[in-house]
Amino acid sequence: MENSKIISIEGLKKYFNMSGVKFTALNGINLEFSQGEFTGVVGPSGSGKTTLLNIIGSLDSPSEGKAMVLGQSIGELNVKQAALLRRSKLGFIFQSYNLLPVYTVFENVEFPLLLLRMDDGKRRKMVMDSLEWLGLTDKIKSKPAQLSGGECQRVAIARAMVKKPEIVLADEPTANLDASNSHHILKTMVRLNKELQTTFIFATHDEKVISYLRRKISLVDGKVARDEIMNN
Amino acid sequence: MNLLFKLAAKNLVGAGMRTWLNVIVLSFSFLIIIWHKGLLDGWDRQAKNETISWETGGGQYWQASYDPYDPYSLTEAHARIPSLFDTLLSKGDIASILIAQGTIYPGGRIQSILIKGINSNQKLLKIPSSLFTGNSVEIPALIGRNTANDNRIKVGDMITLRWRDVHGTFDANNMKIIGIFDTDVPSVDKGQVWVPIDYLQRMMGMAGEATIIVRNKEKQGIVTVEGWKYKSNEVLLKSITDMIKMKSISGAVLYIILLSLAMLAIFDTQVLSIFRRQKEIGTYIALGMTRKQVVGLFTIEGSLNSVMAGLLAALYGIPLLALQASRGLSIPGGSKNFGLAVADKIYPAYSLGLVITTILLIMLTTTIVSYLPSRKIAKMKPTEALRGKLQ
Repeated sequence: MENSKIISIEGLKKYFNMSGVKFTALNGINLEFSQGEFTGVVGPSGSGKTTLLNIIGSLDSPSEGKAMVLGQSIGELNVKQAALLRRSKLGFIFQSYNLLPVYTVFENVEFPLLLLRMDDGKRRKMVMDSLEWLGLTDKIKSKPAQLSGGECQRVAIARAMVKKPEIVLADEPTANLDASNSHHILKTMVRLNKELQTTFIFATHDEKVISYLRRKISLVDGKVARDEIMNN
Repeated sequence: MNLLFKLAAKNLVGAGMRTWLNVIVLSFSFLIIIWHKGLLDGWDRQAKNETISWETGGGQYWQASYDPYDPYSLTEAHARIPSLFDTLLSKGDIASILIAQGTIYPGGRIQSILIKGINSNQKLLKIPSSLFTGNSVEIPALIGRNTANDNRIKVGDMITLRWRDVHGTFDANNMKIIGIFDTDVPSVDKGQVWVPIDYLQRMMGMAGEATIIVRNKEKQGIVTVEGWKYKSNEVLLKSITDMIKMKSISGAVLYIILLSLAMLAIFDTQVLSIFRRQKEIGTYIALGMTRKQVVGLFTIEGSLNSVMAGLLAALYGIPLLALQASRGLSIPGGSKNFGLAVADKIYPAYSLGLVITTILLIMLTTTIVSYLPSRKIAKMKPTEALRGKLQ
């Protein structure tokens, strides 16, 4: 199932200036990711998981080294090119869902397709398909404030998946969910990974998530401590 | 752009009360600015129309020595009415006015006055000179309501009038007040008595002479007459135009205060939005919007406040303004002393130009005020915005 390399990271370093002090978040990361992976980047807080995901997601750029994502060097992309990459090829799932509060479920899921300027009919069908995958067809008119945490995260997944991106980056997607909702969400993502061949990369330290991973990359102090294939 | 407009409209409507408060404040500004400007325009129009009807007609020919601001010029400011006006004058299509200085003694008091003689048959000005016809009294006279009130004069009163003729000889006689006219134009009322021109010509020894000939623009083009200078309405009405302009400038202070209040509300909302909606901004960027697009979205959101305010102002403002335009605004007593034609009621004039200019001005200001805080988004780090971290 997993085949061509879609992400290649070499000697990646990321520094932050924190009140005049140089803080190294990533310190010489070398990694490769193939299409269809279901991988987690795990580690304690401050180990650099989110920073790594942000760079892969072109929300941040490397201080040193190279990060190639879908054939594009993240460090060399301008703001517009980075936005285009995110808009067309990447999906994001956040710990606190980040749904747009004034939009309905339908509109939240529709949003990425509006940015792609897709025509009405096709857009509507794709939104409904996505909501169907996530079992949210009865909630299309609800607003985020009317949904439970689990439902909000399912909407966030639907939004990330609606444009059928090549890579989905999920930062602590189960951190705000109870065990039952977490398993439900994770099973959904595993199903989507298998059915749509979408690459999932998680940043997590949640054992429930880890139990679903097929590959686990452990980060400690900005370095890869272990990179292991899981038996899931 | 279309997408940004749709999103901005949705966000605005979704923001609920915050939006409506801004929209209501802004709609008040729209309305008060239009109302105030309309009132001044209406006043301007009324003042000019009334002054034209009562005093200036289609322009005036002044005897070359005449200077309305120099009373000493009156002794010289008279000349024979040029013969080219004879036909129009005999038909009453133009008015000839002779001006002299005099004194009246109402109730034993002494009062300096301008004696104005006008042809009885004139139909050009609203001065009711036709009342002179058929009056066999020594000197029939008309006065305006303000002069009558100031001097406690009523119709039928006999008042002593003293004047000095062309030879410098003082003479006096009783004049009978045969009519009191109501006018909004103080310059044909205050300190003046109107008598038939032929009477005044006789009294002064100035047969066939006048100081001013009021032109009828429908009946005659502008002609050059030796010894007379032509004054167009543009010149004659300049003082009104200048005074209205002055009032417009003082009105601008009101607009600036109102606009500032409304803009402060928009600016405040925008600044708050940008701080409170950082996560949302981060999400937009993560989903593929460029920072420029997000700045555009927030700017449009701010600007749409003025569009909604315009619609709201139209909803309640059009009936209100239309009602006032038809019923007029009553001006308090004493306003006759303004020195400018002020009617008892002013009917505001709302032109399309006024409405469009006001809308454009407010929309432009709102857009600028919305854009200024939104620029901050362009400097935000999306990773920190996503976490809702204040930057």
